Amino acid sequence: MSRWRFLLVFAAAMVLLWIAPLVLPLGDYTHDVVGLTFMFMAAALAWNWLGGYVGQISFGHAAMFGVGGFVAARLMLSSGLPFVVAWLAGGLVAGVFGLLWGHPTLRLRGPYFSIATIGVGEATRLVATYWSDFTGGSSGLSLPLAGNPTKYQLYWYGLYLLGAAVLISYGLRRSRIGLGLAAIKEDVDAAGDVGVNPTLYQDLVLFLSGTMVGICGGFYASYQAFIDPQDMFSFDRSIGLILMAVIGGIGTVLGPVWGAVVFVIIQEFLLATYSELYLGLYGALLILIILFEPLGLTGLVQRVHRLLLRRPATAASSGAPLTADRRPT
Amino acid sequence: MTRSPRHSTVLLGVAVLVLAGCVPDRDDNRDSGATTIPDTIVIGSTLPLTGTESKTGGRFKQGYELAVELENADGGIDLGGTKVPVRLNLLDDTTDQAKAVNLAQRLITQDKVNFFLGTYSTAVVEAQSTVAEQNKIPYVNGGGAATSIYAKGFTWVFGTLAPVANLASTEMSWIDQQQAAGKLPKPARVAIVWENTSHGKDFRKGVQDFTAAHSGGYQVVTDESFALDGKDFSAILSRVRAAHADLLMVDAHLPDFITMQRQYLSSDMCSKVLTYGARGTESDARSALGADGVNYILSAVWWNKQLGNAGLNKEFVDKFTAKYGTDPEWYQALGYEAARSLFTAIAQAGTVDKEQVRAKLSALRMDSILPGGTLSYPADKGGQADYPFVVQQNLPDGSSPIIYPADVATGTGVAPNPACKG
Amino acid sequence: MGEVVVLAVSAVLLAGFYAAMAYGLGLIYGVLRIVNLAHGGIIMASAYVTWQLFDRFAVDPFAAIPVVLVLFFILGMGIYLGLVRFLPRGPAGAVQSLLLLFGVWLVIRNVVYLLFTGNEQVIHTAYATSSVRILGGSFSATRFAVFGVAVIALIALHLLLTRTYLGKAIRAVAQNPDSCTLAGINVERVYLLTFGLGTALAGLAGVLASTLFAINPSFGAGELLKSFVIIVLGGLGSILGIALGALVLAFAEVFAVYAVPPYLTTAVGFVLLVVVLVLRPGGLFGQRVLR
Repeated sequence: MSRWRFLLVFAAAMVLLWIAPLVLPLGDYTHDVVGLTFMFMAAALAWNWLGGYVGQISFGHAAMFGVGGFVAARLMLSSGLPFVVAWLAGGLVAGVFGLLWGHPTLRLRGPYFSIATIGVGEATRLVATYWSDFTGGSSGLSLPLAGNPTKYQLYWYGLYLLGAAVLISYGLRRSRIGLGLAAIKEDVDAAGDVGVNPTLYQDLVLFLSGTMVGICGGFYASYQAFIDPQDMFSFDRSIGLILMAVIGGIGTVLGPVWGAVVFVIIQEFLLATYSELYLGLYGALLILIILFEPLGLTGLVQRVHRLLLRRPATAASSGAPLTADRRPT
Repeated sequence: MTRSPRHSTVLLGVAVLVLAGCVPDRDDNRDSGATTIPDTIVIGSTLPLTGTESKTGGRFKQGYELAVELENADGGIDLGGTKVPVRLNLLDDTTDQAKAVNLAQRLITQDKVNFFLGTYSTAVVEAQSTVAEQNKIPYVNGGGAATSIYAKGFTWVFGTLAPVANLASTEMSWIDQQQAAGKLPKPARVAIVWENTSHGKDFRKGVQDFTAAHSGGYQVVTDESFALDGKDFSAILSRVRAAHADLLMVDAHLPDFITMQRQYLSSDMCSKVLTYGARGTESDARSALGADGVNYILSAVWWNKQLGNAGLNKEFVDKFTAKYGTDPEWYQALGYEAARSLFTAIAQAGTVDKEQVRAKLSALRMDSILPGGTLSYPADKGGQADYPFVVQQNLPDGSSPIIYPADVATGTGVAPNPACKG
Repeated sequence: MGEVVVLAVSAVLLAGFYAAMAYGLGLIYGVLRIVNLAHGGIIMASAYVTWQLFDRFAVDPFAAIPVVLVLFFILGMGIYLGLVRFLPRGPAGAVQSLLLLFGVWLVIRNVVYLLFTGNEQVIHTAYATSSVRILGGSFSATRFAVFGVAVIALIALHLLLTRTYLGKAIRAVAQNPDSCTLAGINVERVYLLTFGLGTALAGLAGVLASTLFAINPSFGAGELLKSFVIIVLGGLGSILGIALGALVLAFAEVFAVYAVPPYLTTAVGFVLLVVVLVLRPGGLFGQRVLR
């Protein structure tokens, strides 16, 4: 897809989603859930910058989600800053926190890095639960209901968050940085040889990813109006982001967006009926995707598309994972 | 491509930023329900029917359903002369906070339930009660004990569980009696060991407040918290031992209670008084530690079947046993009382108007099966009920009589632990 | 002084259990270069099997060890043949294996949940609370037994890897699968047997866990994380290193009470993990491949 076509589609989608609640008779509940889904999409996209573009699978993104959420909540509680400013500040702190542990650990590759992120995530959760002066400890923090956006309004803030995440996803992939990231994913040492500084590139991506996930944490704090460390920093939250990205298509530009849709549909609708099966359902989904369609939904759609058009396999669409030898020209 | 590739992105970014200032809003006064008399009164609720707390969730469900059944047995709630049946719309929140919040949101805003009965376990109630407050719907729960839930100035949230601090202070009151009778040393050396959850925090506060108020009688020598699901408590226990504590006051959930008590027993420790908060009388504890392993453990709960010899209590126990064929525990009793207090307030209001029912709830004084015999939601406690616990002690003959408060006691407690040598 | 000795003995006993729970993860990683995220789920499943054997047939947990080993060896080979075999080799496969085996873990948890509900289950043996007096302290007899089994397993594993043809083949494949193919070793078969063996060892850890702790379907998450810490401390893929890593972790956790509040002792392990990964990726004792 050319850049102009992408931007056109993007702008049209944003406008449609922007006016949708005003013209469609969405129920209150659906409206709120869609708003929350936007946030999940943004967070999953942000995870994908590191996990998909660079291939560094993080099991510890809940750490940044939680840091962003709690910093934002603290700011809203104590300083009376407007919530958007508080979210951004929380995001930045989360990004810096990401750099703090990421700079040393990003030199590790593959499973080593993943294991390190599990350690980071769990240590952060324990410290946050213990540090009750800041996080409220196991009793958590409640935000005042006044001065916070209503769930009705949060739909549009969620949409903006998603818009920003999609633009960054696209920009990262299409920029020189994107090429560098793909080179790092293929082979770190070779990337260094062709003049890509792996440390700098990976740090930058983790900072961006952490900031975005941190902002999502702030959004979540406003949405829930109550947050506690066990929930914000939970291992399941990190896993949720991974699931969304993997279901949608890890490493693709927009895959995590579709993954988040599936994730929320499973959470909201299937699980209300078959709640005792939810772990197994996710597990089976993961197994099936990894064995049969490593690019998840995106891969599936591409496959169907090729079948319908009887076109030979090419990676022309922007959804295909970009590798160094398939750079767009 | 000759044009600067960033040009358009920047333009679009700016456009988005401009738009971002622009967020539609509306009057958020979601209608508070008609004041006319409906065909049925719908009570929304979620409980953990699957997941880690499924066992407890199932028990609360029994309590809720029994209350609804008894209410409907004579036609329903009397709304100014018209009997209106009650229907419970109960969903499974899988012990998941986000899910409990979303389902509550759905029940309230989409299914338009009239009132809400809360879920179980403190953190989940804490998250869910915010939704009720936001949507201005009366929310009664029997599953959230942490004082922090009721310290936020919420006016729509009511809790039937007395604070866990009362658990500790009721136990300490019994201990104080024993001390006054010369059975325990004065001052007694106290070790507080608590799980780092709001349950544990409130427990610790209860012990601390009591010892501070009786400063000559007690001296806190150890005060440690631990993380859930510990694998080795030898470090904490050796601190307790080194501090020569007379009273070991622990607050733990079942897995930690078992692991810690096993280590306590096998390291030949023996405190004059030992408690694990609410733990000790359950059959799981006896089967995990053996009958000898739980002897003389002190425990306190919100309600016990042994209270059920007369009046409302007898009626509840009989009806419960008839319906389910098992004996009720405190979970079912608290669920039952939460539902019953809501029904009582609705009947007093004579309408399903949310504001009027809320007012009746906060002014409620109702005869109750709970210790103390009266249930109310005092405003100065943020809508949380306040009553003493019932203290039980495991005796070597396998029984666990209530030993305190005296007016409901069914046996006599023993202190210091006779199994200790020296 | 007395307290230090008591804590040291406790730490050694804890290290026994820790080592036993990390052997399987370390072995599979050392040979297949795959992080078995289902490890915690397998420990949990085997604890449930042990509990069922005890509850229904009154089989003592320690007597159940041979049964569990065989059962989980077969289960492990099944997982390998049915799933792991199809993963691509190399870095791409390493990432996919994380997600695949995580999926397996979720499925195991769900199956156990459906069979036995989410309630806590406990095995109460006659000796569960009996104690042993040593060095001026009194310790749980069960923990001594667990420690003994862990040491026996270590010796057996060591002998297997150094004295048998299979063990030598496993070590050879761990070092260089390509040259093994040339030397006529059936690499695929070695992978299969290693995965089975690693799963059986996780099963052993489950038996031991069931004698010490209450179990529920989410049991195993903490064990998995700590196993990571241990194999990283020990230098990924070295069996003796694992035993040493377990000792380091146990001592760090037990003695951390002198430096941090007891609540944070668990975090000490995770911090140690990250620090060691960054500073000494080869482990505290240097990288030795399966010796």
